[in-house]
Amino acid sequence: MSIVIDRAAVRVAVDGRAEPKTLLDEVSLTLSERRIGVIGANGSGKSTLLRLLNGLVAPSSGSVTVYGADTVRGVRSVRRRVGFVFTDPLSQLVMPTGREDVELSLRRSVRDGRERRARAEAVLARFGLLALADQSIYELSGGERQLMALAAVLAVDPDILVLDEPSTLLDLRNRELLRRTLAGLEQQVILSTHDLDLALDLDRVLVVDAGRIVFDGGPAEAVGFYRALCTADPGDSPGAAAPGPAASGAGLPEAGP
Amino acid sequence: MRGHGFLSAQYVPGASPLHRSPLWLKFLLVLVCGMASFLVADWAVAAVVLALLCAVFLGTGAGGRRLFRAVRPVLPVLAMVGLFQWWQLGGPTAARIVLNILVCVVAASILTVSTPVQALLDGVASLARPFRRLGADPERFALTIAVMLRSIPFIAGAYADVRDSARARGLDRNPRALVLPVFITTVAFARQTGEALAARGLGETGPED
Repeated sequence: MSIVIDRAAVRVAVDGRAEPKTLLDEVSLTLSERRIGVIGANGSGKSTLLRLLNGLVAPSSGSVTVYGADTVRGVRSVRRRVGFVFTDPLSQLVMPTGREDVELSLRRSVRDGRERRARAEAVLARFGLLALADQSIYELSGGERQLMALAAVLAVDPDILVLDEPSTLLDLRNRELLRRTLAGLEQQVILSTHDLDLALDLDRVLVVDAGRIVFDGGPAEAVGFYRALCTADPGDSPGAAAPGPAASGAGLPEAGP
Repeated sequence: MRGHGFLSAQYVPGASPLHRSPLWLKFLLVLVCGMASFLVADWAVAAVVLALLCAVFLGTGAGGRRLFRAVRPVLPVLAMVGLFQWWQLGGPTAARIVLNILVCVVAASILTVSTPVQALLDGVASLARPFRRLGADPERFALTIAVMLRSIPFIAGAYADVRDSARARGLDRNPRALVLPVFITTVAFARQTGEALAARGLGETGPED
């Protein structure tokens, strides 16, 4: 079982332009590794690619299926399987305290209030957040908030966890905390990041540039490709600017089972 | 962003008689206080009711500071309302109106300070259950309340931030420099909240494959 992206593209209409703007060019991928990273410059299409996986963005053409469920036609079952963590936890935490937010996540699946409270406590305890459960989310540190957002998403036990630049707003200590937490999760994790150390921990890394997957492979090679891409002359084409296989070219590793 | 101390009368865990009271009784208290504010014609009676409610609030163990934080946001508005009414209708009427509004605010704070938000949402969902016959989803009612609870402090915080940045640029007397950014921030926040809820599968009616 895996995520299959079949020639999915995302285009949006822009005022004053006859042609729609392409946020993501036709992408075909099978994502089955346990830890997958997406790296690329700001505005390259990383977030758009991740949002496809949870149905937050619908492809303009092509399709995305998660465990066989289409992200457009079966969006509810996709969202039950795919948890999504945003860059800024304050965008994600809807309730005034962490406990209430975790309970909000559980409302959909657990009707009984007592059971919901017990399950929320168990989730918070698992992440070492029980002592912070009743604090205002605004009183928590960035790392604590991010962990709280993660706990709220994992409370419903998704099969896949998608994180959009989860470490961008964190200091070094909190990044390490997040890194250890992610490493210990059972779920398949797919994340975008600017933290290249975090990318090096993963099983497979995609490099996105101008809406295209320009590299797909092991983390060390992908990070090397990305560094070369970023330091290349802006006039050079991405493929020519950096070593390693481009997504459309030969030499790409197999996507996996 | 700051200004979130305005999460007025947030739930305070405790075991006071009010914490143990059933939700319907607390709802009733708010309802009665709201209705009484139309009926009480004497400012002295309103003052006694307010004093009683303040005592009940303090009985929850939430503390005087939290009580002040609960009423603080309405004080500037009440000052303006009180002055206007005093000018138009005289001192006793102005005092009655201001005190009655405070009675409503403190009564609502007693409810929120002694009731976990999830219990409140359960109550709202139960109250909305009859609307299911009309095709409405009771959980959506509860979610609407949840989003409202979240949005009020956010908008207050956004206003504080925008006011500060307008001051820093010497634009604090320009209404456009205050209103427009708050409006844009609020719309962006609404979109973000919608996305966050959708990503968690909350409140959606999309097809199940």
